[in-house]
Amino acid sequence: MILLQSPSRFLLQTLLNRVQNLEKGVELDYQWVEFDDVRYHVQVSMKYPQFLLLSVSLPTPAQEAVFSGGLPFGAIEAIKASYGVLVQILDPPKDGFNLTLKLNLSKLPPDEEYKHALLVKIASVREVVLGAPLRVVLKHLASRTVAPDINRPFALVHRPKESFFLVPQAEKVTVVFPMRFKDSIDTVLATSFLQEFVEARRTAGLNNAPPCLWSPSPPLELRGTAGEALSANAGFVTFVIFPRHVEGKKLDRTVWSLSTFRAYVSYHVKCSEGFMHTRMRRRVESLIQALDRAKPDLEKSKKTVQGRSFKRLSLKEAHTNSNSQRWS
Amino acid sequence: MDSAASRPAVVIDNGTGYTKMGFAGNVEPCFIAPTVVAVNESFLNQNRSSTKGNWLAQHSAGVMADLDFFIGDEAIARSRNSSTYNLSYPIVHGQVDNWDAMERFWQQCIFNYLRCDPEDHYFLLTESPLTAPESREYTGEIMFETFNVPGLYIAVQPVLALAAGYTTSKCEMTGVVVDVGDGATHVVPVADGYVIGSSIKSIPIAGKDVTLFVQQLMRERGEHVPPEDSFEVARKVKEMYCYTSSDIVKEFNKHDKEPGKYIKHWRGIKPKTGAPYSCDVGYERFLGPEIFFNPEIYSSDFATPLPAVIDKCIQSAPIDTRRALYKNIVLSGGSTMFKDFHRRLQRDVKKIVDARVLASDSRLDGEVKSQPVEVNVVSHPIQRYAVWFGGSVLASTPEFFAACHTKAEYEEYGASICRTNPVFKGMY
Ligand SMILES: Nc1ncnc2c1ncn2[C@@H]1O[C@H](COP(=O)(O)OP(=O)(O)O)[C@@H](O)[C@H]1O
Ligand SMILES: [Mg+2]
Repeated sequence: MILLQSPSRFLLQTLLNRVQNLEKGVELDYQWVEFDDVRYHVQVSMKYPQFLLLSVSLPTPAQEAVFSGGLPFGAIEAIKASYGVLVQILDPPKDGFNLTLKLNLSKLPPDEEYKHALLVKIASVREVVLGAPLRVVLKHLASRTVAPDINRPFALVHRPKESFFLVPQAEKVTVVFPMRFKDSIDTVLATSFLQEFVEARRTAGLNNAPPCLWSPSPPLELRGTAGEALSANAGFVTFVIFPRHVEGKKLDRTVWSLSTFRAYVSYHVKCSEGFMHTRMRRRVESLIQALDRAKPDLEKSKKTVQGRSFKRLSLKEAHTNSNSQRWS
Repeated sequence: MDSAASRPAVVIDNGTGYTKMGFAGNVEPCFIAPTVVAVNESFLNQNRSSTKGNWLAQHSAGVMADLDFFIGDEAIARSRNSSTYNLSYPIVHGQVDNWDAMERFWQQCIFNYLRCDPEDHYFLLTESPLTAPESREYTGEIMFETFNVPGLYIAVQPVLALAAGYTTSKCEMTGVVVDVGDGATHVVPVADGYVIGSSIKSIPIAGKDVTLFVQQLMRERGEHVPPEDSFEVARKVKEMYCYTSSDIVKEFNKHDKEPGKYIKHWRGIKPKTGAPYSCDVGYERFLGPEIFFNPEIYSSDFATPLPAVIDKCIQSAPIDTRRALYKNIVLSGGSTMFKDFHRRLQRDVKKIVDARVLASDSRLDGEVKSQPVEVNVVSHPIQRYAVWFGGSVLASTPEFFAACHTKAEYEEYGASICRTNPVFKGMY
């Protein structure tokens, strides 16, 4: 897996299971949490098997990123546009959540392919809701206009108490991510990952991808933003999005990739750490083999059943071993 | 307490056959996936052969090899459709056998299935009662260093299976757990939450053997199942139609008298041609699970029936725990799901116990009458993933977070902290 997918796997599985035997009454109550602190709660009651209550809680926004009515700018419109008559937005939402949707599964279209596409869209609810403001801005870019009444730079929440920033213009939208990591090793790896990422962008095959930059200090676009938003221990990544990146079907992909960019980097940092461990284990194993080969024949006879001859010795064992060698 | 403790802990029960993963506080795991990884080996070979090739190509081949792998059902599907993917099973007989594969498997569980940030959650993992401390250290190393988990608890599977009873009745932390999984069967006595290590018994017969036996019976009868599919078909037939009989001879008679009532039909589609086919399911319905009670019909190496093993296990435990152990024999694992499995087990264990009591009574010439021994085999609906459920219950108590090894401790003292696991004190 290279990219994170937009639908929640568990939500999709739950929906598909439910749709398969809709008449059968079941009691469901599932709660789970995804990356960037997006939480889900699904409920189905025995009595009304065709209804499914889906509650979503979003990361707490930082000061600069404002929610209106507990949701990002444009979210309600985006939900209505994506799901139509299938969902009803409950007001107020369930306690502790930003949004509760009541899905009426009996209103799904009969056409299997269309039905599946709609369920995938519901499972992608975080993209629809969290990505809503970004989508508004990028839609304007597609028609080469600038969305009215938004601040500049425009702060969008993507992690608890953390924002990324947009500077919309008619011909391009500049997107800036302050990159922060908790763990010191992660920070180092992420920094070099990002530098390589920017480097890779320059290779011939990627000429059409959005230009991107990395800098250790806040770029000029963020002038006037509060100090806290400008501290980032793994630097700042800037993308420049042009109308060609948001044409037609590309829009969805671009919205998702940008709103989960931090999660993407974090995932790859974890992968790199995993692979370094793999390499280290292999190296240790080959060194152990070399050590084994160097041992006198006497040791060889001690091979264990699995054919592995190395055993981490405790201090005491090592002692008696060397003693016995001395006497033999 | 840190913010991670406000989120549900991630609970992953890695079984030899299936991994159960999900979030604490739920009654079911989110996913049950075969514990298998499909790795694309072609990149690796390329990487080695082209020593002089250009640096970038080599580099990206390496990166691709690292990311191009699948787990679970997807892994099985990939390996079936193309020869570039090779399957590797990270766990063998309950023990981690291949740490590279295990780490990859966890990586996908976390990022692709549960889709959570491992830094945001405490983790509860499980291990077999026979796991060596070194293996626990490795697990700790991977969890803390690769995934940066804030806290980790490695629980012993049968103890969790006992804890699964926590919500159903008042929790009894003394009992014998009979865990019959895919690749291993363990009979584990637990007293007050502590495993009586010296009395653990293992049996080389488990779910996979039932599948193999069903497959063999169907093949011998000449059912037309495409060979590349026959193992999967046998597994599904087993899970859907097999049951435990009370007496094989009677069961054969029943089938012969009313074949229409007992014979089931399996319908499938040939993977290569897409043509539909069907086959009958007959005696294997009750003969499959019978291998636990009469192992000699399947294996020539192992002949002790499961009820006798349970009895031996309890007899080898300290004498003051035995009555309590007979009273609470708890089932766990997918292969205890056969209909009436618990009835048959209870009856057969009771038979052995009663025979012993009778023998000792007659030895004593009826002078002292011994008290009858109560035998109870406990079965509950979440038995299939009792271990996971026990983990889910345990990890949603406030004591859990305090019992975890934390990242700070790990950094201070190293992986050796994972060697021992505190048992939840004062919880039960
Ligand atoms: N309903 C069922 N009836 C019989 N066997 C089942 C059923 N469900 C699952 N199994 C079998 O249980 C085994 C998996 O059990 P599990 O406890 O998950 O194993 P492990 O923990 O060793 O991986 C598999 O062999 C599977 O075929
Ligand atoms: Mg198991």
